[in-house]
Amino acid sequence: MTRAVAVAFAVARKDLTSEWRTRELVPALGQFVVLALVIANFGFQIDSQNAPAIAPGVLWLALVFAGLVAFGRAFAAEREQASLEAMLLTPAPAAAIFAGKALAAGLLLIACEVVLLPALALFFGTPLNFALVAAVLVATIGMAALGCLFAAMVARVRAREVLLPLLTLPLWIPFIIAGGQAVQVAMGATGNYNQAVALLVDFDILFVVLTSLAARFVLDD
Amino acid sequence: MSTIVAHELTQRFGAELALDGIDFVLDKGEHLAVLGENGAGKTTLLRILSTAVRPTSGSLQIFGLDALRERARLRARIGFVGHAPGLYPALSAAENLEFFCSLQGVDRARVAETLALVGLSHAARRPAGRLSRGEQQRLAIGRAVLHDPRLLVLDEPDASLDSGGPDLLAKVMLGRSAVLATHDRALANRLCQRTLVLRAGRALGAATRLRVVR
Repeated sequence: MTRAVAVAFAVARKDLTSEWRTRELVPALGQFVVLALVIANFGFQIDSQNAPAIAPGVLWLALVFAGLVAFGRAFAAEREQASLEAMLLTPAPAAAIFAGKALAAGLLLIACEVVLLPALALFFGTPLNFALVAAVLVATIGMAALGCLFAAMVARVRAREVLLPLLTLPLWIPFIIAGGQAVQVAMGATGNYNQAVALLVDFDILFVVLTSLAARFVLDD
Repeated sequence: MSTIVAHELTQRFGAELALDGIDFVLDKGEHLAVLGENGAGKTTLLRILSTAVRPTSGSLQIFGLDALRERARLRARIGFVGHAPGLYPALSAAENLEFFCSLQGVDRARVAETLALVGLSHAARRPAGRLSRGEQQRLAIGRAVLHDPRLLVLDEPDASLDSGGPDLLAKVMLGRSAVLATHDRALANRLCQRTLVLRAGRALGAATRLRVVR
């Protein structure tokens, strides 16, 4: 168990160090989410009346598409460099390697959220509070696990850019429904915030366990 | 005990037959050269031996273990060099090896001695992406021996290596069993005791000094 955790952290540290030195992904994702908010701001004719109703949808749309790019790159880069096979030909558990990749991709998405959430508050005039940040972070965990699993699955096929959204988006819908509700309440709408976040935690547990079990078969066979 | 006992190894990719019933035995400390034209099945065979892929049919024992079932245990005892170096270009040469120390569960003290072994001590802090192709290949060979494996599986490791390449390969193969795929017959004769010639996925039995599994 200790060894698996050490492997997962080593993989995550390697991915984050590579990203820090190359700055390939996070700046592009940051620009993408800001552009998405600018387009939504003009496209929806935002005012103080409709902003709380529209902002959660815009947030999840931006987050979902940024996530597809982040998770897609997590394994595509390994395949391009032929380094995934070198990792898998070690005695390190495949589930630990997968967990490290998902952790790094999740942290990169959180870096993107650091830009997204203040920009949303700026463009839409919505509140930026702990409840909002917590709901988005809790949803990110399960989304990262699922996104990375499918990214690993499609990395070896040529049409991966098409297949990744087709496989991932349907399974992200529960996060978008529960996360959307939690974010709406955090932005001032009426509803049960705790229930929505508890549902997100349930989804996180379910998908983290399922993806960890499936990782070995997806990566190694 | 033999290091490798391969029996009727067959690999299909859809309708294409990449390997057709390969039999061979590799004894402890022995070096086997796999020769053949492009597309003969050398890489497919070596990827099976490295446990990267499972054969469609046939049996494979490495160190007495079933290589199709005991892959995790065997990987700690096999070093593999593939066609591509498989390095992380943003990490330095030393950081690449340190990362694989974490995955292999070996002490990081091995990094300095491995870099010295492959002649890259001077480039330890240089990003792998800025190394020459030959230096990258040296680093990939270093990664393959980082955990002191008993079996080396080398797929055209001489590609891109300079004139010191054969000496380096002789050094890393010393005291280990090895399977080496190459187009260079002179290198095969220098480094290996036996050869296996493949053509269209089949072993050319008559031309080899191959011991066939009974």
